[in-house]
Amino acid sequence: MNKRTNYIQIIIGLCVLLFMFSCKNEEHEYHSVTDKIEAESKNYHGVSVSSEPYFDNIEMIEISEDGQSFLIPDRKGQIRSYACTECHSKPLNQMQSRDLKKAHWDISVVHADVNTMNCVTCHNPENMDNLKSLTGNTIDFNASYKLCSQCHTKQFQDWKGGAHGKQIGGWAPPRASMTCVNCHNPHKPAFETKWPARFNTQTIKERNN
Amino acid sequence: MSNNNKKWFSLNLNSRKKQTSSTCGCGKTSGGCNSHTVSTQMSDEEFLEAAVDASIGEERKKDGFDQVFEVKMDRRTAFKQLTASLLIGAGAVSTSCSVVSGEETKEKAQIDWEEQFKGNYKLMSDEEKKGTVDRLVRSYQLRTGKTISMSSKNAEEDVLFGYAFNISKCQGYMDCVSACVEENNQDRNSQMQYIRIHEMKDGKGFNFNEADDNYYHEVPAEGHFYMGTQCFHCDNPPCVDVCPVQATWREDDGLVVIDYDWCVGCRYCMAACPYDGRRFNWSKPEVPEAEMNHNQHYLGNRMRKKGVMEKCTFCVQRSRAGKNPACVEACPTGARVFGNLLDPNSTIRWVLENKKVFRLKEDLGTEPKFWYYMD
Repeated sequence: MNKRTNYIQIIIGLCVLLFMFSCKNEEHEYHSVTDKIEAESKNYHGVSVSSEPYFDNIEMIEISEDGQSFLIPDRKGQIRSYACTECHSKPLNQMQSRDLKKAHWDISVVHADVNTMNCVTCHNPENMDNLKSLTGNTIDFNASYKLCSQCHTKQFQDWKGGAHGKQIGGWAPPRASMTCVNCHNPHKPAFETKWPARFNTQTIKERNN
Repeated sequence: MSNNNKKWFSLNLNSRKKQTSSTCGCGKTSGGCNSHTVSTQMSDEEFLEAAVDASIGEERKKDGFDQVFEVKMDRRTAFKQLTASLLIGAGAVSTSCSVVSGEETKEKAQIDWEEQFKGNYKLMSDEEKKGTVDRLVRSYQLRTGKTISMSSKNAEEDVLFGYAFNISKCQGYMDCVSACVEENNQDRNSQMQYIRIHEMKDGKGFNFNEADDNYYHEVPAEGHFYMGTQCFHCDNPPCVDVCPVQATWREDDGLVVIDYDWCVGCRYCMAACPYDGRRFNWSKPEVPEAEMNHNQHYLGNRMRKKGVMEKCTFCVQRSRAGKNPACVEACPTGARVFGNLLDPNSTIRWVLENKKVFRLKEDLGTEPKFWYYMD
C-alpha cells in the first residue's frame, strides 16, 4: 500500500514538473501579441533600412507639431504660378476688368457652403503670396495644413499621428507624409465616385459552376 | 560528390566545375555510363520530349481534376511510366556526360539537379540561400534570356511588421488589388488575387454572407462600406501548424512565408486559415514577360509552380527594403497603414494606441497582425 502511494506521489510530481516546463515554452512567453509588442519595443534600437531612397526627389520640408516631427512635400514649388504676385501686381478690383485675360476660370469652390466659405476665407486680397487664418494671421503656403486644421481638427489629429493620409516612400524612418492638399483639392476636397480598378471574371465563372 | 558540408545530397554535374577524378555524373570511373548509348541515338531535346511524353503523355494538356480522374492505367502503361521516369533521371546524367550537348544545356541540367535536391529554405545558411537564389536567377536567364534580381534578405532585428486598415476611408476602388497582382507576379489566367475587398451594407456589421467581394459598379455605393482582407500574418498562425512538410513558417519579423520549392501542395494550410488568406495554383502560373516584376525575393514574388500554395507576404521584397507594400502605396484614400510594431514612434503604433482598433475573429487566438479601425 505504501509503495503505491509513493508511485502516485512520483507521478504527480512529474506531472507538476512537466506542466511548469510546458508553460515556459518560448512561443507562449507572452499572453498576446500586444503584450509582446509592448515588451519587445522597450529596447528598440532602430533599423538599418531607410525610406529616403524612395522619396523620388520630392522636395521635403520638416514640420513639427505637438512633439511629432516629420517631413511633408514642399508646396510652393508645386503650385504652377507661384508667386501669385507675379500676376497679382495690382489690387483685385482693378484686375477684374473684361480686357484682361481670365485666370483661375476653372476653380469653383465646392467646399462647405456659401455661408461658411468663399475665396477670402483662406486667401487675402492684400497679401496674395500667403494664406490667411480665420483671425487674419498669415499662413505660409508650405504650411497649408494649418489652414485646414482650423476646422478639420479631428482629421488633423489623425494626420499628425499617421492614421489619416498617406506615407511617402516606405515604413522605415524618416517619416514623410503627404499633406492635405496632396490628396484633396482644396477648392473641391471630396473624393469622387469611380469604377473599380478591376473585375474578376474568373471568380464569376468559378462561383456559377 | 562535391561539398561534404552540405545538408543534402548533391551531384556535381557541371563540366565547368572541374572534378578531381575523371568520373562522370553517374559515378563510374571507367567504361562510361550506360546512358551514353541513349544520348548518341537522340538529340537532347528529342530525348526529353520522348521521355516526358512517355511518362505523362496526354496529361500534359489536362489539369487538376481531370488529371486525377481520367487516368487509364493498365499494367503495361504502369511499367512504361516507371521506365520513363527512370529515363528522365538518366537523361539528366546523360546530358551532363554527353560530349555533343552544349555548355548551356549542361549548366541547365546542373542547376535543375541542384534545385531538385536542395534543402528547405528555412534551414539554409546564408550562403546556401544565396546559392539557390543565384541558381534561380541563372536558370531564368538561360530559359528566357531576361535578367531578374532576386533577394534572399533575412528578417531584420527590431522589426515586427503590422498593418492597419481604416474601414471608414476605404472606398472600394480596388487599386490595391491591381497593384498587388502586378507587384507579386500572380497568375493572369486564373486571375488570382491575394486581396479581397468586401462591399458590406451599412448597419449590418461584418456580415460576410451578404457581402460582395466581386462588385462592378461605381464606388462607393450608397449605403455601403468597404473592408479588405488578405493574409493577416498571424503571430500564432494555424496554417504553419498544419503544414506536414514545414514549407511555411513565421519569420522573425512576423511575416508568414512559404518556400514554394518545398511545398507539396496538400492545401492543409488553405483549410486551416480562418481568413481565406491562402491561394493555390491549380494551373501553371503565367505572367507575360512584359508585365513581369523583375525585382523579386525568394520568399515573395518569384515565379511559382503549378501545384503550390502562395499568398500575401506583405511584399517581402519591398518591406524588407524599407518600402511599403504595393497595396499601401497604391491606395488613393490612405486607408492602409503599414509599419514596424516595435518602433514606438511609428505611425502604426500611433494607430494602435490612439484609435479604436479590432481584428477579425480575435477569439480564435490566431493573433493576426492586421488591425481594423475607424475615423
